Amino acid sequence: MKLLITGAGGFLGQYVVSEAVRRSHDVKVLLRPATKTIPKSWEEHPKIEIVKADLRSSKGLVEIVSGVDCVIHLAASKAGDLYEQLGGTVIATENLLNAMTEAGINRITMTSSFSVYEYLKRLTWSSIDESSPLAINRLDRDEYCQTKLLQEQITTNYAEKKGWQCTILRPGVIFGRDNLWTARLGMQAGSRLWISTGLFAKLPLTYVENCAEAIVMASEQTGSEKITILNIVDGKSPTQLSYMRELRKNMSSKPLILPVLWIFMRFLARLAWLVNLFFFKGTAKIPGLFVPSRIHARSKPLFYKNKKIVTQLNWKPRFSWKEGIQRAVSDDELTLIPNQMEKETLASAEKKT
Amino acid sequence: MNQEIDKFSDLKSQKNISVMIIGGGKISEQHLIALSVLKDITVTGICDLSPALSQFTAERFGIANWFTDYKSMLSECDAKVVHVLTPPATHKRIVKDCLESGRHVIVEKPIATSNKEFRELYDFALSKGLHLIENHNYRFNRPIVDLENAVREGKIGAVKEIEVRLLLNIGGGRYADSNLPHASHQLPAGVIHEFITHLAYLLLNFLPETDVDNFDKVRAAWQNHTGGSLFKYDDLDAFILSKDVHSRLRFSCHQWPDGFHVKICGTEGTAEAELFHPICHITTKRSIGQHLTPLFNSIDKAKAIRRAGFRSLWNKIRNKGAYEGLGKFLELTYKSFLNGEEPPVSFQQMDEASRLIDSLLLKENSL
Repeated sequence: MKLLITGAGGFLGQYVVSEAVRRSHDVKVLLRPATKTIPKSWEEHPKIEIVKADLRSSKGLVEIVSGVDCVIHLAASKAGDLYEQLGGTVIATENLLNAMTEAGINRITMTSSFSVYEYLKRLTWSSIDESSPLAINRLDRDEYCQTKLLQEQITTNYAEKKGWQCTILRPGVIFGRDNLWTARLGMQAGSRLWISTGLFAKLPLTYVENCAEAIVMASEQTGSEKITILNIVDGKSPTQLSYMRELRKNMSSKPLILPVLWIFMRFLARLAWLVNLFFFKGTAKIPGLFVPSRIHARSKPLFYKNKKIVTQLNWKPRFSWKEGIQRAVSDDELTLIPNQMEKETLASAEKKT
Repeated sequence: MNQEIDKFSDLKSQKNISVMIIGGGKISEQHLIALSVLKDITVTGICDLSPALSQFTAERFGIANWFTDYKSMLSECDAKVVHVLTPPATHKRIVKDCLESGRHVIVEKPIATSNKEFRELYDFALSKGLHLIENHNYRFNRPIVDLENAVREGKIGAVKEIEVRLLLNIGGGRYADSNLPHASHQLPAGVIHEFITHLAYLLLNFLPETDVDNFDKVRAAWQNHTGGSLFKYDDLDAFILSKDVHSRLRFSCHQWPDGFHVKICGTEGTAEAELFHPICHITTKRSIGQHLTPLFNSIDKAKAIRRAGFRSLWNKIRNKGAYEGLGKFLELTYKSFLNGEEPPVSFQQMDEASRLIDSLLLKENSL
C-alpha cells in the first residue's frame, strides 16, 4: 500500500513510519515546512518520499494526498491555548479531509485519544471500551479533549457522507523514549518530587512501538465496516504506583513519590467546584487539577479493555510495559529502518541458513 | 461630528441590538465573552472560514446561526451591528461589504493598513449613515482610566514626558511559527503592526497636542534583532517631540518580563500604569516637606503594589486578563448606540492614531 503519514516528525510519527516501511509499505512522509532534522534512515530510502506542508493551510495538499491508498493522520496540536489546538488539530484535519475529497482518496486512519471518553459520570472501577459514552460536558474538559472530540466528529461526518473507509484509533497513554511521564500520573514538582494523584488507578498504557504497529495494522485491514473505532491499550495495565516505581528504578535521580489519595483529590475538586458555583456562578478559573471532570479523567480508578482491537486486527503487543520502559531508556536505535538492499541481503542470508 | 451622529438614528429606538461576528479566532472569543454579559445584545450569527470552528463557536456561545461565508451571513442573518475580527489585511474588503449591507461596524485594530484606507472606509460609513468604530480596548483598562483621572485632576501638573512601552515575547508561539507565517508579517510594520495601534492611541490619549501635523519631530528606529527573513521588524524605538513634550514608544520582544507600561512625567509628579499586572501609581509633591515626601511616596507605592498583587490574584481567579477594557469599550459603545450619543472611540481618535502610525513608517522619519 502507499500510505501518507501526517505528523510523521512527531513522537509517535517516527515509529509509525518505521513500522510501515518494515511492513513493506511505500510511505509518503508529511513533515512541517520548517522541519530541519530528518532521520538519516529516511533519507534516500527507496520506500520513503518526504513531502513538506503545514496542514493548517490548504495550499498544496491535494497534490500531496494524490495517489495514496490510505492516509494515516497523526498530526495534532497538544500544546498551546484552545485556539492554537483548534488550528493544529481541527482546522488541519478539515484541510486534509477537503484535500482527500478533491484527490479522490477514500481511506483514512486517524488517531484520536482516550481523553474523549466521559469520566466524571462513570462509576469507579468500571471498564472503558469502545462503546463507552463520550465526554458529556465537553466545554468543562481541557483543550486537548475538546479538539480531539471535534476532530473525530468532522472525520466521521466526512467518512459517512462520502462513504470512505475510516478507522478512528483511540490510544491510551503512549509512552516511550523521552515520553515516559504522563499527566495521568499526577504532577512533577521539580526533579526530586512526584505527586501521585491516583496511586492504585490503572494506567491505560500503550508502548509507542506497540501502538505504531497497531496503527499500521489498522490501516491495512479491510472489512465490511465503513467506520471502525478501536482503543489501543497494551493489555495488562499497571497501577500508577507500580509504573512510577519502575520508572524511578531506571532513573539516575530517585524522586520521592508523594501519594495523595484519590478520594482526597476528588473531595478537593468537588469543593473547588462548589465554591466556584456558589460564589462565582461558575465563572472562576480553577487549575485543571481541581476541575472535577479533568481530575476524574486523569486519576479515576478504572479498567481498560483491548478486546476489540486484539480480535479485529489480531494484534498482539510485542513488548510489555516493563520492556517498553527498558527499551525507552536503552541506547538502542528504535526507529531504524533497514534499507531495501540490507533487507534483501538479510532475507537471502536467512534463506541460505 | 455631532451632526453626523444624528444620522445614526436606527439604533436609538432599539430595545435589543442584534450583532453578527466575522472571524472565529482568539479575539472573537474575547468579544463574545464581553458581549455575553451585556444586556440588550443578542449575537445572531458567527462566521469563520472553518465550518468546525464556526459551529463550535456557535454552540459554545449559544449563537443561533453559523456560516463559512460572510456574504451569506450578511444576506441571511438579521443584525444591526457586525464585529469584524479577521486579520487586518482583510478589513477593507469585509468592512466595506458590511457597510454596504447597511450594518454598523466595530472592527479590531488596526482598522486599516494606512490612514488613506481608514479615511476611505470612514467616508463610506458616513455616506451610509453608519458607525465605524475601531477597538481601542486598553484605553478602558482600569489603570489607564486611573492615569487619565490623575492627569485630568492635575495631580502631576503639566505633562512633559510620556513613555508607552510594550514588551511581549513574540519570539516563540504563533508569531514566530515559520511553518505557517502569521498573516501580520505581511503588514507594513510586520508583526509590530498588530500592536502598534495600542501604542499610538495610548500615547495620543495623554499628549496635549494630538495632531500629527503639528508635531515637531517624529523619529522611529525599526529593527529586526531576531534576524532571518520571518520578521520584518521585531523592535521599535520611536521618539516624538511635540512642543516641550517628549514622548517615546517602545516595542520589544527581547526583554523579560512581558509588560505594557505607560509612564507620564509632569511638572508636579509622575504617574505610572502597568496593564498586564494592573497597577497605577502616582508619585507627587506633598505638603509634608521635601525630606518626608519620598518616604510617604514610597509607602504609597508599597500599598499600591500590595493592592495590585491581590487584584491580580482576584483577576486570575475571575478569569479576567488584560482584555478587561474590551468589555468596558463594548459596553460604552452599545450604550452610545442606544442613547444616540457619540461612541467612546471617536473619528478623531481613530484618525490621529492611524496618522501617527503612518508617520512612524515614513522613510524620512526613520532612524
